[in-house]
Amino acid sequence: MALVKASEQSPHIGTEPDSRDLGSLLVDLVAAEPSVRRSAARRLVVYPEAAMAVCDRLEGEGSPSVRAMLFTALIHQKSPAVAGRLVSFLRSEDVPLRNAAIEALQDMSDAVVPHIQGLLSDGDSDVRIFAVNILGALRHTQAPEWLAGVVRTDPHVNVCAAAVDALAEIGGLDVLVDLEALRHRFQGDVFMKFAIDAAMGRIRGQ
Amino acid sequence: MNQLKSRERTIREVSKATARVLVVDDGITQRMFYRSVLETAGFVVEEAVNGMEGYEMALIHPFDLLIVDINMPKMDGYAMMRMIRSDAAVRMVPAVMVSTEGEASDVVKAFEAGANYYLQKPVQPDELTDVARMIAGVAL
Repeated sequence: MALVKASEQSPHIGTEPDSRDLGSLLVDLVAAEPSVRRSAARRLVVYPEAAMAVCDRLEGEGSPSVRAMLFTALIHQKSPAVAGRLVSFLRSEDVPLRNAAIEALQDMSDAVVPHIQGLLSDGDSDVRIFAVNILGALRHTQAPEWLAGVVRTDPHVNVCAAAVDALAEIGGLDVLVDLEALRHRFQGDVFMKFAIDAAMGRIRGQ
Repeated sequence: MNQLKSRERTIREVSKATARVLVVDDGITQRMFYRSVLETAGFVVEEAVNGMEGYEMALIHPFDLLIVDINMPKMDGYAMMRMIRSDAAVRMVPAVMVSTEGEASDVVKAFEAGANYYLQKPVQPDELTDVARMIAGVAL
């Protein structure tokens, strides 16, 4: 997970000029001492051209605090290219890395948009679930409609259940008809009925 | 034979009191569902929203069973279970891990992390109740 949300910029992770040049910071990024790597990651925030190098460090980084700083630096970049690299981590077997990527993508709003349709049509249902989890916290005006689309068309019960959960948080009254249709599509599934009832109640403000 | 007697004693002891279950899942709907099913079956249910909170609650309160989701923010279910199994104070508490992931490798990882049982979502009420009773050793 990143250390700070994008909307909560710390003065330590700002865009002040840095005396260290990019080359030195990239060397420090693979130093043996975690504090040196962490410091380099923090200073690389002001170098968008280093974003891919920062991404490359994520998988091999063993220190949770350094990894968190790497994610923080990437969130500040907010580019579709960075989002694309983070999207690739949704297939990782490294669960903390995958979860941190999901949290980072949730904070990248417009940078994630070019990747949404691809994620929602991925052949792996778990990747689609992670996409739904991202949408639920993306704070993007189209997120409810994308989630309603999942509810209307996705064949997998767990993907739809994740979308129902997200719509309970951000959906409006216009998605109730889609939730009702989903109830019929998965008739007989006790959990889905429970989730839909709970979501509809929350959307109606009950 | 001694093991069997010990097991019978455990079941009786747990049955006398009300069995306590800790549900650890970041999804509010999942937690509400588990609570509804397990309370109907006679369990007392507490909730945690991630692995770290679950681990801390398990240290503070005695539980007869943990129901642990795998994919959670802050600390995932695998990490929580590894911490539980390496802590002498709570290492014996039975645990069921739950996930959307149904690949054989996911099940193996759950057992390697310390799960006593694995359920794939969506979990059905009868299945959850039966497994909870079996793993917690409760005759509710």
